[in-house]
Amino acid sequence: MGEIKVVTNILNSNNKLTAQNRKLLDEKGIYVINLMSSPGSGKTSILEKVILKLKNDLRMAVIEGDLYTTKDAERIEAQGIPVVQINTGGACHLDGNMIKNALESLNLDEIDILIIENVGNLVCPAEFDIGEDMKITVLSTAEGNDKPLKYPLMFEKSGAVILNKIDLIEYTNFSREEFYNDIKSINANAAVFETSCVKDQGIEELCVWLKSQIKLKS
Amino acid sequence: MVKAMHETSIMYSAMEIVLEKAKESNLKKINRITLKIGELTGVMPEVLYFAYENASKGTIAEGAEFHIDRVKATARCDKCDIIFDIDHFNKLCPDCSTFSSDILSGYELNVNTIDGE
Repeated sequence: MGEIKVVTNILNSNNKLTAQNRKLLDEKGIYVINLMSSPGSGKTSILEKVILKLKNDLRMAVIEGDLYTTKDAERIEAQGIPVVQINTGGACHLDGNMIKNALESLNLDEIDILIIENVGNLVCPAEFDIGEDMKITVLSTAEGNDKPLKYPLMFEKSGAVILNKIDLIEYTNFSREEFYNDIKSINANAAVFETSCVKDQGIEELCVWLKSQIKLKS
Repeated sequence: MVKAMHETSIMYSAMEIVLEKAKESNLKKINRITLKIGELTGVMPEVLYFAYENASKGTIAEGAEFHIDRVKATARCDKCDIIFDIDHFNKLCPDCSTFSSDILSGYELNVNTIDGE
């Protein structure tokens, strides 16, 4: 027998599940954010700050992706909003099936915005859509301004990039100029925010923008 | 089974597609598999080759030739109506220098062909 043309997307099964998730979330009118970054850049701290600012106006819920622990989910739970923990048991990213299972534990009729905190990893999560309306990538000044060039895919696919730990920038050799130039060349459409969770900087601007994005969808 | 590297889970998904197609075509042995992987994906071909060894073990694809075709990244400029090559760091139209969001190719992750008997 000769060559058989297959031409099938390898991520088909994930894409199918993701499409199902998206349909369900759209029907319920839920805005979904896929929050990504390397470990330790401050995803959970930003989440805590954003929840404090938005939870009185919007009904929020969080899905926490983590290899093994429930540490981040406990921090979110302390904010008094629904949270579901996914432990990937070593896998480096969340996928459509994990989100599908997590959604079963949430009351979708009582959520306006769902934030999914992906596994801390600047590479793999970029490849897998999970049913989100927007991807947001966090980078911290201490990681260095070369990271968008070294890991372009995640920044390329993001609607917004958050530069966190801006209060530490003077102690690092982080070049703002190079960072902004690089983001512009990779993804000129991305909104960029500078934040510090310790000094409570930039969170207000981020929240105003998030609200405007949610309004655009509804 | 822990699928720690994303190439590993991509390879296992690819093998599922390969074996399903082979079954549909009543193949007893697969001799050659080709994939199409876009330049903009974060997938490293060398890691896929490594993952392939494991994913094919004990299947009718064990020992098959495994080939990856890289697909060039291109975009279209809506203003000038031209198609041009891009990379992660340059998506500007060569004529008018506008940033293009209309990416035509480069994100492919496809099982392309299988060959067997």
